[in-house]
Amino acid sequence: MRERIDLRPLLRETVTSAYNHLVTRPTGISLRQLIEARIGTNPHPTTQLDFGSIGLLDYSCADEIVAKLLLNAADDRPRYLVLVNVSDTHREAIDHVLETHRLTVIAVPDDGAPPGILGWRTPDLLAAFDAVQRLGAGDSGRLADALGWTIERAADALQSLALRRLVQAASGTYCPLPLL
Amino acid sequence: MIHVAPVPAHFDDRTLDQFAQTLGPWPPAERLLIDARGTTWASPYGLAAMLTLGQAIAELKLPKPRLAVPESDDTRSYWARTGFFHHAVEYFELAGKIPKRSGDAPGSTLVPVTAVRAAEDVHEVVGRVQEGATRILTSELKLEAKAVMGFAMALSEACQNIVEHAGTGGWVAVQTYMWQRRLGRKVAVIAVSDAGVGFRRSLEASEAKKVGERWGDGAALESALLHGVSRFRDPGRGQGLAGIKRYLLRWQGKISIRSGTARLSVLPEWDDDVPLAEHLPFFPGSQVQITIPAQEAPAR
Repeated sequence: MRERIDLRPLLRETVTSAYNHLVTRPTGISLRQLIEARIGTNPHPTTQLDFGSIGLLDYSCADEIVAKLLLNAADDRPRYLVLVNVSDTHREAIDHVLETHRLTVIAVPDDGAPPGILGWRTPDLLAAFDAVQRLGAGDSGRLADALGWTIERAADALQSLALRRLVQAASGTYCPLPLL
Repeated sequence: MIHVAPVPAHFDDRTLDQFAQTLGPWPPAERLLIDARGTTWASPYGLAAMLTLGQAIAELKLPKPRLAVPESDDTRSYWARTGFFHHAVEYFELAGKIPKRSGDAPGSTLVPVTAVRAAEDVHEVVGRVQEGATRILTSELKLEAKAVMGFAMALSEACQNIVEHAGTGGWVAVQTYMWQRRLGRKVAVIAVSDAGVGFRRSLEASEAKKVGERWGDGAALESALLHGVSRFRDPGRGQGLAGIKRYLLRWQGKISIRSGTARLSVLPEWDDDVPLAEHLPFFPGSQVQITIPAQEAPAR
């Protein structure tokens, strides 16, 4: 279960500008506060932020919206964040600010390409993420078989994905987040 | 008594130092007469810097300087169409014939001289560039769509430096023009200037002790531009300039920041500027110029 938040209406609540660009740090702060309020009342663990109707996203706004949202959620009850309809230019700004904070998020591109990870990542994290998306729910044994890894290596990678809230974990099994 | 400060005939980032020298000690002890009668051309950087000078003097509550406008009809008309006189009238007593601002900015103007005081102004400036300048940037400068977005991001971050750090308002102007002698190519130039506290004062509390004896305008610029230091403790800060540098590296662009008595540039291969110039004549606030060249082979 998930909730999708379209950023355009929230932007309209935040600034009087007629444009659809997410720029400036104050705009990012205001928008994040609205998103946090929505997430706070959302019964679903997964929230999708929809960038589909957003033009430009600058670094300052990306930092305030995406990075701070992940940082603020760190000690909260399990919450998952997925970015959807992310364009190439959105991706660049988000990737850059998340790397700075060593944070990671799932992004679904707007061009139909498969979902991927933005921000800090390792080759094992990427491989495990792609495999979980492809295989669906499973455990470390299944992942190890699929990737030709040892169980320990697969378990480490899955745990890292779970700690970064890129997969859901329960009783030793892992499943992908709802991306559609 | 009045102190006369002649404006160079060709007023841009390269001749601002010469103009600053003619201003004498800061703050000026006498009323200034800014003599632009012999000026035949000014870049967006020059015009934004001139407004910054007027603003800085107004904020010091010193007598309003006189500005003798260019004698050249073409130059006056051009300055009017860029919006310069519209703002200048607030800070200068204008001497000379001032053309009315016609509705149309020059074709090469992507953003006319515009005041930036708050985040809303940044939204407007970025929106205007995205709306009106994309065709020029793609057709005349051969920038890919991705590079055009990056250009708008660079513009946004540069303008935000005013809102976040200057402690007062500033100015932005964006234009394309032909750099025949310097590059042999067309360029798009973002000029941002503010009358604020400058990089040294903005970073002094957190950085001066760390840097030690070398602390000054040059060291402050290095901290901000080369090391991503911000006066805010939040590790997410300072990413704007880092993002601009990444963009410029990819598209062979240049950024140059002048603050107080120093100027620091991140240079592409095509530019022969010095990376760091110190002990320059003082000029108030901070001035940023971002230059993106057309993505094509140099003219032969």
